[in-house]
Amino acid sequence: MTFVDLALLAGPAIMMIGLVGHLLIGDLLRRIIALNVASGGVMLVLLAVAAREDVPDPVPQALVLTGIVIMAAVTGVALALARRVDAVSDESEDR
Amino acid sequence: MSLDIGVFDALLLTGVLLAAVAAVLVPRRTASVAVFLVFGLLLALLWARLDAPDIALAEAVLGGGVTGALLVDALASKQPHAPPRRLWTVVVGIVAGTIAFLAAACVVSRLSGPTGELPRLVDDQIATTGAEHPVTAVLLNFRSFDTLLEIAVVMAAVFAATAVSDRSWARELSASGELRTIAMALLPVVALLAVWMLIAGTTRPGGAFQAGAMVGAGLVIAHLTGTRHASTRGRWGEALIVVGLVAFILLAFSTAVAGEGWLVLGESWASAAILGIEAVLAVSIGVGLARIFLANRNEPGEAR
Repeated sequence: MTFVDLALLAGPAIMMIGLVGHLLIGDLLRRIIALNVASGGVMLVLLAVAAREDVPDPVPQALVLTGIVIMAAVTGVALALARRVDAVSDESEDR
Repeated sequence: MSLDIGVFDALLLTGVLLAAVAAVLVPRRTASVAVFLVFGLLLALLWARLDAPDIALAEAVLGGGVTGALLVDALASKQPHAPPRRLWTVVVGIVAGTIAFLAAACVVSRLSGPTGELPRLVDDQIATTGAEHPVTAVLLNFRSFDTLLEIAVVMAAVFAATAVSDRSWARELSASGELRTIAMALLPVVALLAVWMLIAGTTRPGGAFQAGAMVGAGLVIAHLTGTRHASTRGRWGEALIVVGLVAFILLAFSTAVAGEGWLVLGESWASAAILGIEAVLAVSIGVGLARIFLANRNEPGEAR
């Protein structure tokens, strides 16, 4: 087994760790972090697939590059939503 | 089955796995964010080891920089008490996750060997694209439609985050002397790096996304240090956020009407078109990411 083979196996592992965490955790901020971890796993699979050849395949690399930017934007929206949800549940607890 | 892997690579993969587990498991928000930042840093190293310097650069600037700033800023609000899950839910979740992992591992271990066809096609055609760097050629010529949709998604995300926020960010931060000195030292460096990444993208790792992330980071620094005229609020900010998508769509229309088809770039002017559209995209992405950060700012007077 080479480094790339191991990376190809670590990808799904990280994805599932993140996904299970995302579904089981109650706290919204930690959920968003778990989703980011899962996306790291997906990127690892794509980049390991790209790195199997001597000259890395630029097409999956371009896909991952797009994915990183989208993930940052999505995280921003998710955090804004989470903040509003937390603020509303704080208010209803205070009453 | 023999292992053929260097010590550094083995440590790196183990570190990434451990950081992923820890980021998900630690119960406190602050600890979770801290571990996630480490995870992002290790990922950037891992991408570099997997022959993907472009991704490593983007991960370092976006994962560590922009997402990191967003998460650390979100720590300011207090952690609400979440009721713990029932034991059987956790057990079912872990069992399902393990089964899904085994299935995915089966799939990746049975992948057919690389045919090398796509890299060869890219390599054959790269002289006609106007970009010398294969990733840039894929992003802005072969698959520019993806990039067009991507900037549309980023724009939608920016306006969604703005709409959700409670607008408490409409406040100017006042700058103290030290912060202003830091801004004066950092901002020119960030601006220089952004321009360099943009220009370098045509021939080597770099490009619109990395440059855009750099612009975003610079604008966040400018906001936090209270630099004037660096605001992404208001009409000008919104215009700059939209301009990337509008310019890209205009390019698509003009190639469809006057050229050979949607987003087919002519060989003679392709490099100028790519550099131009990359510059506009970098500005849009940068201002957009900074706006997302602003939209997530906490109310003034809230406990920090």
